[in-house]
Amino acid sequence: MSLRSATGAVFRRELQLFAKRKSDWANPLVFFLIVCALFPFAVGSESERLKLIGIGVIFVGALLAAMLSLPRLFDEDARDGSLELMLTSTEPLAALILARVAALSLALGVALAAVTPVFALFYALPFDVAGMLAISVLMAVPTLLLIGAIAAALLVSARGGAILTAVLVLPLTVPTLIFGAGAALKVLYGESPMAELALQAAFMLLALALCPLAAAAALKISTD
Amino acid sequence: MARTEQQSNEKFGGRWFWRYASPATFYPVAGMIEKLCWVAAIVLAAIGLYIGFFVAPTEATQGEVYRVIYIHVPAAWMAMVIYLAMAFWAATGLVLGTRLSFMMSHALAPTGAIMAVVALITGSLWGRPTWGTYWVWDARLTSTLILFFLYVGYMALVAAFDDKKKGDRASALIALVGAINVPIIYFSVNWWNSLHQGSSVRPGSSSMASTMLTAMMVMTFAFWAYCIAASMYRLRTEIIERERNAAWLPAAVKEASK
Repeated sequence: MSLRSATGAVFRRELQLFAKRKSDWANPLVFFLIVCALFPFAVGSESERLKLIGIGVIFVGALLAAMLSLPRLFDEDARDGSLELMLTSTEPLAALILARVAALSLALGVALAAVTPVFALFYALPFDVAGMLAISVLMAVPTLLLIGAIAAALLVSARGGAILTAVLVLPLTVPTLIFGAGAALKVLYGESPMAELALQAAFMLLALALCPLAAAAALKISTD
Repeated sequence: MARTEQQSNEKFGGRWFWRYASPATFYPVAGMIEKLCWVAAIVLAAIGLYIGFFVAPTEATQGEVYRVIYIHVPAAWMAMVIYLAMAFWAATGLVLGTRLSFMMSHALAPTGAIMAVVALITGSLWGRPTWGTYWVWDARLTSTLILFFLYVGYMALVAAFDDKKKGDRASALIALVGAINVPIIYFSVNWWNSLHQGSSVRPGSSSMASTMLTAMMVMTFAFWAYCIAASMYRLRTEIIERERNAAWLPAAVKEASK
């Protein structure tokens, strides 16, 4: 089996699972919706105030929703034995992990980005800001999942894995958060968001280069 | 690339430094370093605090309150330095498979976290009279806070594994991931801060009186000594805990407690 067909198979399998099990993508979206709906109750519903916090709330909400999907990267595979197959494969583990994360980022990123503009209306944000926020979310989800894959791989079926994954990963998402929300803020203030987008793209590429290798090492450690 | 301790043993077995990779050899050495550093820490802190509080002049704009720098600045430096040291021993452990390196890394983490907390608390106590608030989202404060989160994550990960060997390697990997991220986070936060906030009062931007500088340097060495002593103490505790079934341990502990 060549590398290409192996990664292709992993990629397709992940997408098929995603399409079959509706809860996998529906639950993060519902979670995202509820988080976004909770804040106005806490801070008040004046549209000026909502506009100020909206970008941050939506971005953090999307981040947390993606975070919650991290355990599904490896946990279920560890239970049903397909993780063992991945580990014993002759193909490089990092490439297989990259294929998995790519499929999850594609499915989850598109889903979260698609609903982001709708939620932006909750917060009285103009359409151009809502659009930029959707692009930002689409770019941030792969970075987050790539970093998160390292923690998820370390904590495959460990006790308290979900909360510990969040503790490990969330501090590392600060740069993505700054420039992801920053791009939308720039649009809100009528400036060009290109610098923020470029930096976000740079983080994504850096994560793309390093994280699969680290995640492969992590998986080998935790399943040793 | 990564070896097991056994393989490293075969490769480096005869070299002089390799002896100290063994917990049995290093345990008494750590005890000696610890004693020396406790003495150095106490003496240097006494000198440094004396110069800082009684000899150094009152600062022109901030008055007496600036004297917190003699604690604050060394603590902030140590918080950063210890993370680097921790990552270094984690990397050494991953490459050579030496269990003492992992133990060193674990022993450093709580001291680093304490230093970050000390820097944050003294920073906010200083901020209240000078900035008028306990907390500002200043770039340096924020990155120290995130550094503290990284320490906490590392320690939580060490604690999450029942299998010590697995926990060693897992936490070492996270320490390295953190070490790569620290500069990225630092520069991001710097830029974020400058985008969103006007310039805040920057401590220490004016040139310092030479006694102030002397006091700060002495305090910095005191903090170094304290951190080394505290981590050596923790390292020895960890060695006792992990090697509790080793034949050499009872005699070494008895020797050390004499």
